[in-house]
Amino acid sequence: MKCLVLERDMTPIKWLCLGLILTATPSQAQEIFPAEQIEQGHALALAGDCVACHSIPGGKAFAGGLGIDTPIGRIYSTNITPDLKNGIGAYSFEEFDRALRKGVAKDGHALYPAMPYPSYALVTEADAKALYAYFMKGVAAADTPNRPSDILWPMSIRWPLRLWGRFFAKTKPFQPDPSHDVAWNRGAYLVEGLGHCGSCHTPRGIGFQEKAMSPADGPDYLAGARIDGWFAKSLRGEQASGLGAWTEADILQFLKTGRTSRSAVFASMAEVVSHSTQFMAEDDLSAIAHFLKELPPADGTPPVVASDDSTYDALRRGDYHQPGAAAYVEFCAACHRLDGNGATKIYPALAGNSVVGSNDPTSLIRITLAGNRMPTTAAEPHGLTMPALNHLSDQEVADTLSFVRSGWGNHAPAVSAAQIGKIRSKLEQP
Amino acid sequence: MRFTISLALALSLAGFAAQAAEGELPFAAPRDADIAKSAGAADILLGKRLLSDTKHLLPDHVGDGLNCTSCHLGEGKVAFASPYVSISTNFPQYAARAGREISLAERINGCFLRSMNGKAVPADSPEMKAMLAYFEWLSQGLPPKTKMVGRGNGKIDSNLVPDPVKGKAIYEAKCASCHGADGEGIKDARGEFIFPPLWGEQSFNVGAGMARTYTAAAFVKSNMPVAWGLNAPLGQGDALSDQDAVDVAEYFTHQPRPDFPAKVKDWPNGGRPKDARY
Repeated sequence: MKCLVLERDMTPIKWLCLGLILTATPSQAQEIFPAEQIEQGHALALAGDCVACHSIPGGKAFAGGLGIDTPIGRIYSTNITPDLKNGIGAYSFEEFDRALRKGVAKDGHALYPAMPYPSYALVTEADAKALYAYFMKGVAAADTPNRPSDILWPMSIRWPLRLWGRFFAKTKPFQPDPSHDVAWNRGAYLVEGLGHCGSCHTPRGIGFQEKAMSPADGPDYLAGARIDGWFAKSLRGEQASGLGAWTEADILQFLKTGRTSRSAVFASMAEVVSHSTQFMAEDDLSAIAHFLKELPPADGTPPVVASDDSTYDALRRGDYHQPGAAAYVEFCAACHRLDGNGATKIYPALAGNSVVGSNDPTSLIRITLAGNRMPTTAAEPHGLTMPALNHLSDQEVADTLSFVRSGWGNHAPAVSAAQIGKIRSKLEQP
Repeated sequence: MRFTISLALALSLAGFAAQAAEGELPFAAPRDADIAKSAGAADILLGKRLLSDTKHLLPDHVGDGLNCTSCHLGEGKVAFASPYVSISTNFPQYAARAGREISLAERINGCFLRSMNGKAVPADSPEMKAMLAYFEWLSQGLPPKTKMVGRGNGKIDSNLVPDPVKGKAIYEAKCASCHGADGEGIKDARGEFIFPPLWGEQSFNVGAGMARTYTAAAFVKSNMPVAWGLNAPLGQGDALSDQDAVDVAEYFTHQPRPDFPAKVKDWPNGGRPKDARY
């Protein structure tokens, strides 16, 4: 982002960040930061999507307050604006760096690992300094007080978190791997580090730690995980459920626009695209795509069955003998079409769709029952939706989704009415 | 058709919520999955397919690129998208355009001649019987002359003055990504329309109801775009103000489209609406 350069085609987001810089309240940091360093820090903060957790929808940017559910209770993100009293304006660089990369606040208390400092540990010192410059001088101060967590004593005692950090978190900045090219290493730095992709996409272990933090840690890395009532799909090389069928260009386009010719982003990743990746430099997005495409499939994934026309042919001639077929035609085919191919960049394809093809059907069920909205991005101004089909019974949804998961060459396991009912009851909770 | 209380109850519970006026039934439609259990299932199913895959299955009767479902969204089961539900309880019916009472088959052929810019389907053909069977099935258990919420396209104030210049801008910003910059629609890899063409040789002729500004505006207001909200069944509608809907409707209805030579016979006894094209 060239925020400090007045351009002829200033987009609203550029005006916004220019405005933020001009209105920023001086923090205690008396240093003068070069404009380029603040700008670089802003780009890094976008890559890290700091705003996603450190703001509430409609609230002041970086003023904190977003509720985050952890296994021991709900915590609230903190104010990281340069406000002296309630923000981080009184932090020195060293204190900021320790919080960012080691998870220790200025007063010495340990942060909950909802703050992905085990990933941010990889951030280089130069990038940490740029981030500091941005948060001190590029962000508007907000005096929003921090909200205490809902975690009850004795679980609220913080010192065990320090042991957790010592046990699970890395301590060294990113070390390039000379056996890979520059783009791969850049991608690794962004995905493993600031991008903290593993926070959602890597399964967690018994200590709530990510089971793997890099490709070297084995096939759990970015293998897909259930989080916050969704299934964050595998980013590894599986054909049916991962990124095996995606090209590097597809991944870049997805992160830049929220769409590809066959898929669209939904759920929390929609926010990632709209707040973060759409603003990242294309070189960085290419590097991310390159790195992800090098991840081999996790072991034991099912073989790929080639897409075939038999499902389309049956539906076209009115053969609805398969359970769910008639409901598919009635409730899904108007957009996703009899051939399961949807409409390019408008309606996602279901044939060969990696969310449909994931063994874990959580996201598919949830999106069917509750609907969802694609983000608007500079490239795709229409935030199209999947409507909520919650007027269908559990059995109807189960039959329809099982049909979708086995049609057009898809081969994911069937889903049961009980699985639908379980997710429906969670969605209906206030 | 047999009437069963349990079916009616299930339908009303499953139906899409809409405010019913005095004497109106709530909108509800039976499920496709129940066709197989119905008497005359083969005809009902064929009728449903003819109305959804019209261009492909009735090539001699469709002169443009449209299917019935291009306007009657979601198999004619969507409220305020000209649903077929309850239609067969309301025919035969006096039609001002024809100047006489017409049968449901004649009404269907009105669409084939105008919206499909094609040829009438013979009233005694298996295809027409199948379409009527599907309509009957959709209206099963309903009393004669049923008034149901969601019939037609919804209401729009016909006193609003259309501005086609603003309409063009709205079209380009909000419609063109699916219906094409020149109203040409979007086709799939097989060459079949995903999004119907709104003008040109592949679109409805001037005799179609959709060629009228306020009819089209009501449709747009109630149904466009789809995949816009979280509402079932299609996330459709309610994206434009009434004025914007009138403006954009004025714009696209008045683009070049096929003529309808038989138009000279319309409204023989008067009653011509003010937005008629001739």
